[in-house]
Amino acid sequence: MNGVLEFKGISKYFPGVKALDDVSFKAYGGEVLAFLGENGAGKSTLLKILNGDYQPTSGEYIINGVQKHFNSPHEAIEDGISVIYQERQILLELSVAENIYLGRMPSKKLGFIDTKKANRDAKKIIDDFGLPIDPSTKVKDMSIAYQQMVEIMKAYSRDNLQVICFDEPTASLSDAEIEALFTVIRKLRDEGKIIIYVSHRMNEIQQIADKVAIFKDGRYVDTIDPKVVPESEMIKMMVGRDLGDIYKELDRNTNIGDVLLEVKNVSSDYVKENSFVLHKGEVLGFSGLVGAGRTELMRAIIGADKMKTGEVYLEGKKITNRSPHEAQENGIVLVPEDRKLQGILANLSVADNINISMLDANSNQFGFMDSKKEKEVANKGIRDFNIKTPSPSKKIVELSGGNQQKCIVARWLSTNPKVLIMDEPTKGIDVGAKAEFYQMICDFAKQGMGVILISSEMPEVIGLSDRIIVMRGLKIVGETGREEVTEDQLLTMGMLGEV
Amino acid sequence: MEKLKKIKIGGDKLTMIAAIIVVFIIFSSLNHNFFTGTNIVNILVAGSLVGLVAIGHTYLIIAAQNDLSPGAVVAFSGVLAALLSAAGVPFGFVVLITVVSGAIIGVFNSFMVNKIKLDPFIATLVTQSVIRGFAYIICDGKPVSITDPTYLLIGKLRIFGIPLSVWIMIILIAVFGIILARTKFGRQIYAIGGNKDAARLAGLNPQRTILICFILMGILCAIGGIIFSSRMNSGQPAANVNLEFDAITAVILGGVSFMGGVGGMGGTILGIILIQSFNTGLTMVNVPSFWQYVARGALLLFALTTDYIRKQKREKELLEASMKNA
Repeated sequence: MNGVLEFKGISKYFPGVKALDDVSFKAYGGEVLAFLGENGAGKSTLLKILNGDYQPTSGEYIINGVQKHFNSPHEAIEDGISVIYQERQILLELSVAENIYLGRMPSKKLGFIDTKKANRDAKKIIDDFGLPIDPSTKVKDMSIAYQQMVEIMKAYSRDNLQVICFDEPTASLSDAEIEALFTVIRKLRDEGKIIIYVSHRMNEIQQIADKVAIFKDGRYVDTIDPKVVPESEMIKMMVGRDLGDIYKELDRNTNIGDVLLEVKNVSSDYVKENSFVLHKGEVLGFSGLVGAGRTELMRAIIGADKMKTGEVYLEGKKITNRSPHEAQENGIVLVPEDRKLQGILANLSVADNINISMLDANSNQFGFMDSKKEKEVANKGIRDFNIKTPSPSKKIVELSGGNQQKCIVARWLSTNPKVLIMDEPTKGIDVGAKAEFYQMICDFAKQGMGVILISSEMPEVIGLSDRIIVMRGLKIVGETGREEVTEDQLLTMGMLGEV
Repeated sequence: MEKLKKIKIGGDKLTMIAAIIVVFIIFSSLNHNFFTGTNIVNILVAGSLVGLVAIGHTYLIIAAQNDLSPGAVVAFSGVLAALLSAAGVPFGFVVLITVVSGAIIGVFNSFMVNKIKLDPFIATLVTQSVIRGFAYIICDGKPVSITDPTYLLIGKLRIFGIPLSVWIMIILIAVFGIILARTKFGRQIYAIGGNKDAARLAGLNPQRTILICFILMGILCAIGGIIFSSRMNSGQPAANVNLEFDAITAVILGGVSFMGGVGGMGGTILGIILIQSFNTGLTMVNVPSFWQYVARGALLLFALTTDYIRKQKREKELLEASMKNA
């Protein structure tokens, strides 16, 4: 008999974010249910609630008629619910068998561990999966794909496994490895397990999913059959409107000027030597996989990390940025990737957050703040960027993610930068705010700023950039124009370094 | 909304004032000499030393730092100043040299935090031991008498019936309070205490701010050492043990969060009054000194628990506010 997993009215709030809003639906055993939705749509949050990592603000979930409540992922695993994440959750120094039976290794009479039995039992599972692995191999000596398989086998080794979830499992796998993973998922499906599969990649969903549950802005939209509903329709459901139109409707800058920024052989401890140029009024996209070195290159340029080699020229003049402060004085600013850890000052108000980079301009020669100037700058930022806040003195964490991000942009724009670097500016932001950001980026270019846009969302890079640079393995591996490139080509470059 | 917030902060302070009143009522009923003019002045005098250190801790803890060395630095400064004075150095230079040495200790503390990346607790624990050691070494373990009448006057002078040491504390609290609330430097302290990485990316220089905070603490301790030794008529290498303990308790009671980024000088004033009347009261009602340690520990636990509850409350309010906004 196949199991049923039912979500009933699940909501989850974080300060500034309504991550899940009254989500109710069912997942059935014996089929692969894919979760489809944009970043921040609530897919991962729902998995984290299911496995006890988060507690729901309200609502409940029921597995095979029994209401469940887990205080930790450990409790969930004990109860047969496992989540396989993108990042490995295994111990690299231990063997395959030791990982599979972690915390419940078979033991002999005196309490000594029975390694032989563990290896024998593990071998059975490995054979079940049809994999060429020796159970005594140390996990660190295996490929990422096999490490992931070990995790799946670890979940599978529990007799009571009911639900197994995959959160973006293919992010770092090759095609052949993905195929092997799918074979294993199909095997689990045929055994009647409840399988949840979270991915961004449409073609994977077409291949593996029997049903697709669509999420948008923390709400459950519908469950559909991917063999019946066309892809474009699914995207419309998850985005709420045709994203293609957003890019078409943008009022772009057509007047790209002279070279503004020239980066020559810049490297740091975290990125190899790289060179590129940025023009006035240009939006320059940086594409590549996570960890390709895009953020690291920008951090070296603004002096957040120490520059080891290379030179930076702004408007033909050589500049040195030994700290983000010097970069700001030179007119180069960065809107960082991790809003929560690197962007906002959570203890301060909206006004203080906007003003924090204007301390010199807002104070007199004795260092006393001019509260009138502070108010002006804050109000201008709130007005210019349409920041929705009840008052400038509100704590920034009370705002939604998109409005927090606008505060960070307002912070930098009040310093009148020449080069604006935006690292994943729309991460975790709802679609409406995204469209606003896209037009903002075009407006900055129109004002003559050079904008560097780092984004892992291919349509965003392609839709906004005048030129696109691709990085891989801490180096720039290619460059292309917007008109002549497709998502697949960018992805191939990012993964293989060639078209 | 703005009005609501002000009332809320007032609410915290009202609790503190209520606590101070309760302490006064309890100790007055146990000892009739507690609530007298002389004793209040005594409390203020004793509190002035804790107060100077608490000023420094207010800056440091808001900046998400800390300092366990002040007790040792105050003792060392007292001994150093007394030695210099005994060697015939004019009082002005005694003050100058002592203050500079306090500042150097601050530089050393911030060096360990900024450059060796040590946790401030551990770094200043090192300083505590080293400087205490030097306090004994430079005087060979024996108290150093002070004979210079100018030096001795510091501890005896009264203006409008209030001792000079209390005036110094009041003036310094006012100056440091205004700097914290009104200046660029104050803003930087709050910003780096909230999120050091974000502040750096926003163009601030957290290491410099931390350096200045530690230097200021060193200078405050040096001033404290001079005043205290003058009151004692001698520099005492074994004095002021656990001084930082009372100062930190006062600051946390006053609403500065151990997590950094939150609080202000107004709360610290109330914290100083509360802890010093508590300490003086314990002695006056003859609580054995061993038990006083236990009582002080309990008070710090109370302060930390209050800090924790405040934090929970803030987070809950934020969550509710964002649920409304979402």
